[in-house]
Amino acid sequence: MCETLELVLDGHLSELAGLTAEAERFCRAHSLPVDVEFDLHLALEELFVNSLRHGACEGLAGAVEVRLSLVPDAVVLEYADRGASFDPTQAPEPDVTAPLAERAGGGLGLHLVRQIMRDIEYHRVDGWNRLRMRRPIPAEGE
Amino acid sequence: MIEATQETRAGWLVVVVKGRADAETADQLESALRSAVEQHAKVAADLSALDYISSAGLRAVLQAARAAETQNREFAVCGMSAPVKRVFDMSGMHHVLTIHGELPC
Repeated sequence: MCETLELVLDGHLSELAGLTAEAERFCRAHSLPVDVEFDLHLALEELFVNSLRHGACEGLAGAVEVRLSLVPDAVVLEYADRGASFDPTQAPEPDVTAPLAERAGGGLGLHLVRQIMRDIEYHRVDGWNRLRMRRPIPAEGE
Repeated sequence: MIEATQETRAGWLVVVVKGRADAETADQLESALRSAVEQHAKVAADLSALDYISSAGLRAVLQAARAAETQNREFAVCGMSAPVKRVFDMSGMHHVLTIHGELPC
């Protein structure tokens, strides 16, 4: 099994099922802990849905490139979309203590990504938003 | 894929949710929960068989909770697995939802 998974996605929500299946296969092939697999699914979905809903990637062929790589103590997630320029590391945090009636729901997905992933870097390169981040793999017994 | 079935337990209408609550299934989840809120004064979502939830799934639960609040109905969430509960916690859902560890609610 290759240590790297690379995928190109069109800007359609129907691509999510395939993305999930491929990420699951990658995680299982490398016997990654279930909480690491959960977090990778979550980060990938939130990033992809954000590209569609807010990044003008809806309907765009080859809109997104995903790469998962295994390094000794982490999974490195590289995510790129050719949508509108957007740096999620600078996006405002939602108020997660607001009362029910005031919960707009905006920004929650990226909030979750920032909670679960580490060392998030953003670059805008040749019309692409390029993100790189890590999900550490806890040593056995941790 | 997501599956939602209803059962009555100790005076609560319980919606048992199985599968994945993601951007593709969130509308289905929201409809199932809102429909239960329309039918009964006390509704609980049993999430013990929910494998995964993203912000889209959380939003579906929030919308149902909001509908219940508007209609003066009780709405609770029960039986979450550890990873699903972690997503709820990171999103501050405990500030706005009634969350029970065990059933019956």
